[in-house]
Amino acid sequence: MSPSASDPDPPDRSGLPETPPSSTDPSSEEASPTTDAPPAHGSPSTLLGAVEEPQRLHPLTLLLRVGASLPALLLLLLPTLQNPSSENLFSVALTVFYGVVALPAIVLQYLRFSYRITPKQIVIQKGVIKRQNRSIPIERVQNVQIERNLVARILGVAKVTIETAGSSATEGSLEYVGLEAAQDIRQVVRSFQHQATDASGAPQSRADEEGSKEILFSMNLVHVLQSGAFRFSLLYIVLVFSGLELLDPEVIIQRVLRSQGRIDQITETMAAHPVLTAIGTVGVAGFFGWISGIVIHLARYYNFSLWLDGNKLRKRHGLFTVTEGTIPLEKVQALVLRTNPLMRLFGWYELKVQTVGMDVNEQGHRVIAPFAQYEDLLALGQRVRSFDLPDTFGRVSPITIRRRFFRYTAVLSAGLLPAVYFWPADWWQLGGAALPWWGFVLVPFILGWAILQYRNHEYAARNDGLYVRRGVTTHRLWVIPVEKFHAFHATATIFQRRLGLKTLHVDTAGAATFAYPEVIDLPAKEADAQLDRLYQRFQTLYQTRIEEATGAPDTRLDADQRLQLPVRDDK
Amino acid sequence: MTDSQSEAARSEVVEADTIHSLDASVRNIWRIKGAGLTLLLLLPSLFYDLTHLFDPGSWLPFGVLSGTVLVLGLIYCLAWPRLRYRAWGFALRPEELYTEHGVLNHIRTVVPLRRIQHVDVSQDLIEREFALGRLVVHTAGSRSSDVVVPGLPLGEAERIRDEVKRFILEDPLTEDPV
Repeated sequence: MSPSASDPDPPDRSGLPETPPSSTDPSSEEASPTTDAPPAHGSPSTLLGAVEEPQRLHPLTLLLRVGASLPALLLLLLPTLQNPSSENLFSVALTVFYGVVALPAIVLQYLRFSYRITPKQIVIQKGVIKRQNRSIPIERVQNVQIERNLVARILGVAKVTIETAGSSATEGSLEYVGLEAAQDIRQVVRSFQHQATDASGAPQSRADEEGSKEILFSMNLVHVLQSGAFRFSLLYIVLVFSGLELLDPEVIIQRVLRSQGRIDQITETMAAHPVLTAIGTVGVAGFFGWISGIVIHLARYYNFSLWLDGNKLRKRHGLFTVTEGTIPLEKVQALVLRTNPLMRLFGWYELKVQTVGMDVNEQGHRVIAPFAQYEDLLALGQRVRSFDLPDTFGRVSPITIRRRFFRYTAVLSAGLLPAVYFWPADWWQLGGAALPWWGFVLVPFILGWAILQYRNHEYAARNDGLYVRRGVTTHRLWVIPVEKFHAFHATATIFQRRLGLKTLHVDTAGAATFAYPEVIDLPAKEADAQLDRLYQRFQTLYQTRIEEATGAPDTRLDADQRLQLPVRDDK
Repeated sequence: MTDSQSEAARSEVVEADTIHSLDASVRNIWRIKGAGLTLLLLLPSLFYDLTHLFDPGSWLPFGVLSGTVLVLGLIYCLAWPRLRYRAWGFALRPEELYTEHGVLNHIRTVVPLRRIQHVDVSQDLIEREFALGRLVVHTAGSRSSDVVVPGLPLGEAERIRDEVKRFILEDPLTEDPV
């Protein structure tokens, strides 16, 4: 949608002879400051803070960009650096290329990048060869995020990203501006948005804004460390492997060959005490996972704080990279409380909100409280969106145990039986049977697992929404308010149909994830009835809303107003 | 009119709505598409069988592979469209689009019209021969966000599309769809 639709068209536009031909959006390019101002709040005070002059980025951006390209250059030059005597023309050519093309490109990019902020829109112009002229209407801006990584913090600059509701990707990013400029930008955008929404047009001062914030949740250092201690991360494996990448494989092989004797010793010891070795390996892996969980949590959630600012949630956290985020309350689609078995043992949970039209990080789920007790999170959730957690949840049909048991056993057999069939006779045998046969030892555990899944799966369909609990290892509780219901599905696979079961799924807006709030294996009748009932609630809610808004029932629904399809029931 | 009365009236209207089946000729489209797929699989398996015709070490007797493909293909072309057609039903109701379909996996879906982001009517080459269209309803849902009703007479599909459009445009609530 063109922003000029809402813009009063400048009357002198056609008279201007010098229309830049490369501009993709001429109206935003030429809208002069005076025509940009909305006539309704034309008082000069409302224009305070508008960045009318096209602004350059912070000069240190140049340094940062050159710095960012250095590792790549170093990698390219690695052969020459390792062996300076050899005439490696290729890397020399690359260096020349870098000096002649890449460096000027960085400077040109910097010179050709400008932004300005008017009461109506944010205009970003960029591009050296292909000019791009992007204007983002102020009222569509969802979030102005200020990000500062370690280098940026040392240099006193910040990266500003502008997110809108229209697209899931970041719409505009200013990399980098001075910290003060960044805060000003956010302030200006926010105050313009306030003007757009408040018809009364009382311009809010900065002091007001800061004063209105109410801390909902924050974490101190001990709390963050505790939070990390309850989680494992396998990231260290990635680190180990990326560390190995940097080393020359030949050097490693040489080392290994040289220390052959010691390695033999180790392998012998390990072979002699297999149980001890297994325990040791698991212990070391667990320890590393534990430590890296703490480190990651510390880096991500250090100094976590979440506060309410008008009708928006704001949060700020991070050790090296401080991330700030905004979540408009009305964009919250669902609340998700998540926990793992260890955390659950001590009553710790994590609260996420499912949002839509924001950045795609965390699959449309944003953590608003990484670690807190269940009751505290429920209270926090109430602030985000009021709900009434039912005291009693309903279980799904116990036949689910049978279905799951057969299903998992079938999957296991599908894996094991071919292995048994093709297992060579001279390979590992245990107790006179081929090793894969012993896989069927898992069958009782499958039964236990199915029972656990049944006992961890509960739901409650209430007047104000749908509540679903599910999961053994990762246990989640979804709170889905009626007004955010999206589409309703009742599905039955061929196996479920044989057992008279159905799965109920109420879809909500948002990105795809790993787990959905499905109610799996309800008795078929109950699933259908719940689907109808949930839909009825949704319908009634919007009926009431329409009546409230218009003062009359919705006429679109009258029978004579509606499309009559030919009846063609020739089944 | 009180709330309960309007409630009753509405549910009457809903009850009065019959569930429509698709246009009968959609079965032919499915048959043609099934035949194409079968042919696509049959040709390589025939090729395999013929090239291994005189191969004594072949672990499959001649004709087993192409025979299986042929039989399964025939079932898929002849019986399957009928079952699929019988399973399909849809209804455009005052406030929602209702569909049910699926031979093995049965799926019942209710899409409230106010949740629809946009509607397409599309037609592929074979569908054009039969003057049928396919209604594609896009929602902002996180999963299976597109609901497709295949095999509608083109005019009917376009009328449903216009009806949905009218519903969305005339919505007195000016809120974001999500």
